Amino acid sequence: MPLLKIDDREIEVAAGTTVLDAALANDIEIPHYCYHPVLEIVGSCRMCMVEIEGMPKLQVSCNTRIGNALPDRKVDGMYDMVVSTKSDIVKRARENTLEFLLLNHPLDCPVCDQAGECFLQDYSFRYGRAHSRFEDEKRVRPAEDLGAGVVINQNRCIMCTRCVRFTREISGTGELFVQQRGNSTKISILEDKPLDNLLAGNVTDICPVGALLSKDYIHRNRIWNLDRQPSVCQECSVGCNVDIYHKNGKVFRTSARENLDVNGYFICDTGRYSYHDYEAVERVTSPMIRKDKKWQKISWDGAFKEIFEKLGRKKEGDSNNVAGIFSPFHTSEANFMFARLMQNVFKERAVIGTLPLPKEEEKKFPGGFRISGDCSPNWRGLTEVSSYIYEDIFNELKKQKIKLMYALDDGVNRELTQEWKDLLRNLDFLVVQTYAMTPLAERAHLLLPGAAPLEREGTLMNDSGRIQWLRPVIPLKGSSRPDWKIVMEVMNTVGKRELDYSHVNEVLAEMNERIPAYEGVTFFKLGESGMSINEEARES
Amino acid sequence: MTNNDPKFEFDKPEMVENIISHYPDKRSAVLPLLHLAQSQEGFISSAVMRTIAQLVEAAPAEIADTVSFYTMLYTEPQGKFNLQVCQTLSCSLNGADELVDHICGEYKINPGETTEDGKFTLTKVECLGACGTAPVVQINNDYHEGLSIESLDKLLDSLE
Repeated sequence: MPLLKIDDREIEVAAGTTVLDAALANDIEIPHYCYHPVLEIVGSCRMCMVEIEGMPKLQVSCNTRIGNALPDRKVDGMYDMVVSTKSDIVKRARENTLEFLLLNHPLDCPVCDQAGECFLQDYSFRYGRAHSRFEDEKRVRPAEDLGAGVVINQNRCIMCTRCVRFTREISGTGELFVQQRGNSTKISILEDKPLDNLLAGNVTDICPVGALLSKDYIHRNRIWNLDRQPSVCQECSVGCNVDIYHKNGKVFRTSARENLDVNGYFICDTGRYSYHDYEAVERVTSPMIRKDKKWQKISWDGAFKEIFEKLGRKKEGDSNNVAGIFSPFHTSEANFMFARLMQNVFKERAVIGTLPLPKEEEKKFPGGFRISGDCSPNWRGLTEVSSYIYEDIFNELKKQKIKLMYALDDGVNRELTQEWKDLLRNLDFLVVQTYAMTPLAERAHLLLPGAAPLEREGTLMNDSGRIQWLRPVIPLKGSSRPDWKIVMEVMNTVGKRELDYSHVNEVLAEMNERIPAYEGVTFFKLGESGMSINEEARES
Repeated sequence: MTNNDPKFEFDKPEMVENIISHYPDKRSAVLPLLHLAQSQEGFISSAVMRTIAQLVEAAPAEIADTVSFYTMLYTEPQGKFNLQVCQTLSCSLNGADELVDHICGEYKINPGETTEDGKFTLTKVECLGACGTAPVVQINNDYHEGLSIESLDKLLDSLE
């Protein structure tokens, strides 16, 4: 393998590796704008120039590949390439490049949403010169709406064309293009073809400067005021990794988090803007019981007592069986506790399954990005923690004339068919554990307030068998409790008092012993990128 | 894009096929196809861009990208004769500006505009590479060198 000397370090790299890739992989910073790991290399921003021994001029490191030099051509008799990223001439080149990139830049950081995570700022600070020598008037252009909730501030654009390449290579829709040339260049759309694809929001993430902005976040907050929580998207079974930016219990923005084993560098717009859906629902924040067709708040103890009365005692006559409705929208921990409740407490009285699940057509994009047709984040995890399950429990309920039901509701505003409505109406007792007033919750006799999607903590298993850590972003609202805990308390009320877990990792520890797929899984090991159940050498 | 938009078809489909067959990658045929279309239509309309995009399997925006880069591809209808007056050093020193002013006055147009009868379009261009015989005006594909106001007038009058 070629031996690269970069500054004072010696690195062995595979032949064909670019200098920039080799540097980044070894924590050597080379500033760059147009380079993006999954987009075609264009070498247009000129920011990543380095000095290479034996080459007459500086080279762009993103497009210079390291090969095997002939034995007599090796530098100092051993190196295939000797690169300097810190020499004076490189520093000067960076200063000059930045000065050019900033020629027409309005320097409006105080009102720019990118400020704080802007590579123009960062690189100016680290590599730039403090003053511009440009004396003419700056070119001023109006901002434009590109569609799909993306606007462009043309004045801040540095023409790296990451966004153009994204629409051509990753989304495959090709709406964006570079219009004109020279001083008149700008990113544009055809008048009758605005940005219109489910990945459009990613261009705001990959824009290294404040040119492409999401309308959703414009002027809403400053990035340094927000807290970043690494999390997992709950909108489909791919389980994309996201960063959620929040403050004081309010979410301001979702952006993609890199995980090459799951979603690569991108997320879809459904996931990106899903936090609005979670906020838009009518929240259930305290246990409520239906009395005379009206909801009344009751205490948690009152609610558990009610459950004990209605579900705990066997009655004569009708079917005594209890339907347990699992939810693939909930964490594996909540579903695991629910499975234990059904197996240990209701035993042979338990009939378990799920509601009909929302399904869509799977979408695949040319860049390899996938949106699953299964809209639930944890179907795989659910089947692992409870293997004998009716995917749609309706027929079984009908056949057995079930009168009692305990449902984990997921807050999904699904339309219930008339058949389901009739069935629910005929129940003697329906207890729904939910965070929102859904069509199912509206038909309940007792409501137990659980955690909203962004308040949940536990693990989710995506459809390729990767277990990921879902971390709570915002605190629980009102007197709602974590779902696994509610189920545990129901278990303790109706059955024997046997479990007293205070944190979700105790549930996970129990799953380690009982569920093969979860053997050895801890939150610490899951970290930010998760673990696959398919990895053979997971122990190491 | 609606279906009511005007359509464009090449007059000579065999030439289109011939052009595309020259290249291992269809997209390489974009420029020659644009030139072919422009020689047929006189300019590149959005219908032309859509047709070519389909032929080379690219997004229409990619064709628009290319068209907007090249100044010799026109997106607006041009006059029958395109008067391209060189503006660069030698021509400028030898009276190109006077030629432009003269045409502007004579035909009541500004650079970049077309006369009402559609006969002439006036364009300012950069170096045409005939500096030895400045000033130069390129009319459509032909060079006319060493012009004065009088010889230009005579030349323009002779164009039909």
